[in-house]
Amino acid sequence: MSEQLTLYLYKNSPYCEKIELALAEANVPYKAYQIDIWNKPEWFATNVNPVSGKVPVVTYGGPNVDPDDPSPLSAKVAESNVILEFLADVYPDSGLLPKDPVLRAKVRFFVNAATKHLEEPCYAFVQWREPYDNALKGIEFIQGLLEEDGDFAVGDHYTIADASISPLLARLKIVIETDIGKFPVGMGYKLGEELKGPKYAKFMKYVQRILERPSLKKTHDEESAIAFFKTIFTERAQ
Amino acid sequence: MSEQLTLYLHKASPYSEKIELALAEANAPHKACQIDLLNKPEWFADKVNSVGKVPVVTYGGPNVDPDDPSPLSVKIAESNVILEFLADVYPESGLLPKDPVLRAKVRFFVNAVTKHIEEPCTAFVQGREPYDNALNGIEFIQRLLEEGRDFAVGDHYTIADACISPLLARLKIVTETDLGKFPVGMGYKLGEELKGHKYAKFMKYVQRILERPSLKQTHDKEFVIAFFKIIYTERVQ
Repeated sequence: MSEQLTLYLYKNSPYCEKIELALAEANVPYKAYQIDIWNKPEWFATNVNPVSGKVPVVTYGGPNVDPDDPSPLSAKVAESNVILEFLADVYPDSGLLPKDPVLRAKVRFFVNAATKHLEEPCYAFVQWREPYDNALKGIEFIQGLLEEDGDFAVGDHYTIADASISPLLARLKIVIETDIGKFPVGMGYKLGEELKGPKYAKFMKYVQRILERPSLKKTHDEESAIAFFKTIFTERAQ
Repeated sequence: MSEQLTLYLHKASPYSEKIELALAEANAPHKACQIDLLNKPEWFADKVNSVGKVPVVTYGGPNVDPDDPSPLSVKIAESNVILEFLADVYPESGLLPKDPVLRAKVRFFVNAVTKHIEEPCTAFVQGREPYDNALNGIEFIQRLLEEGRDFAVGDHYTIADACISPLLARLKIVTETDLGKFPVGMGYKLGEELKGHKYAKFMKYVQRILERPSLKQTHDKEFVIAFFKIIYTERVQ
């Protein structure tokens, strides 16, 4: 692939991490540029993501310029799940999506389920908008999609399904191990205890395997994520 | 395509309608089976979709009657997943362009429709919030549309058009009949707002998309109105 690819990211964003993981697993050369989302450079909203000003964004093609001097000639792709599909399209032999339409549908169903049944209730719990019941139901739903002892969410290769759920699982691990969040003190630990039960064994085996992958270890900065959580979750609910 | 394809749907469901439209525009032969959501046949949850929702598509396996589904067929649920599946099995249909950058534009549009139109419009019609977020969403979508173009992205009907059309058809019903859970008159009021210059580009797209034969054939306006009357009996004050 001779087209340039640049990823604009914020290091603590799980949405950006999805893209970093997919690029790492696909072994794609690319430039990475950190955006301080609390202090965005003006050129970012004007020249890279005029639609929403958010990260992650990928620029693709156009001249090989420095990331802080983006060219109007490159294509700009935003929205993490849209970017994942884009990477699967431009790197069709990466395995990020299988070739078979039915397996592709399974991968997409998993991505959809991870957003709807896991991401939303987990963030709602950590931000204490609700208790962890829906998160547990979501975990069961996802567990129902997993194959016994499979290394991957779907099929026998790393796909955008694994990339889309991994950053969330890495943060779930932090929450149950450190109890950091807006929820009442101890609720994080309590959730961790529930997840140790046999009911969630298949899910937790998948979590363990996915968190052991070199791509995740290289990409996910746990210390930084913990420090970030500590700054945003200062108040605790009673 | 020699594989059988069966769509299980409900005529009032905008999610089912997305699939009907995509199949019609792709000219894809298929069987359709209506499921009465208020009185589901037992075999539906057992043999087709354990979650019990529509739309679901069965693909492949023996050519059986829809009410006798085979365990050998693949079952695919979730409307946006089905749309992508149709684009995969009918690659010449144009449901998705071939170019990766245009494909990304289509998917961005689909994502934006869910986030900025579907959610706020549903919340308004169900009386959970005023229509402000719906109007903001309409402005967001409008910025993605190109002036004077027939389609959401590029020069062919794609899953972007399929996914927004059922919502636009229902938006039209709401602004013309005032049916919904919101306070009486709010539907008409939203309709008035949408007549303004601010939304002209959007409303031109709406008009073109609602004139398409596929939509006229698929969308059962009377049925949807009757369904709205059943489910939206209480009004928020």
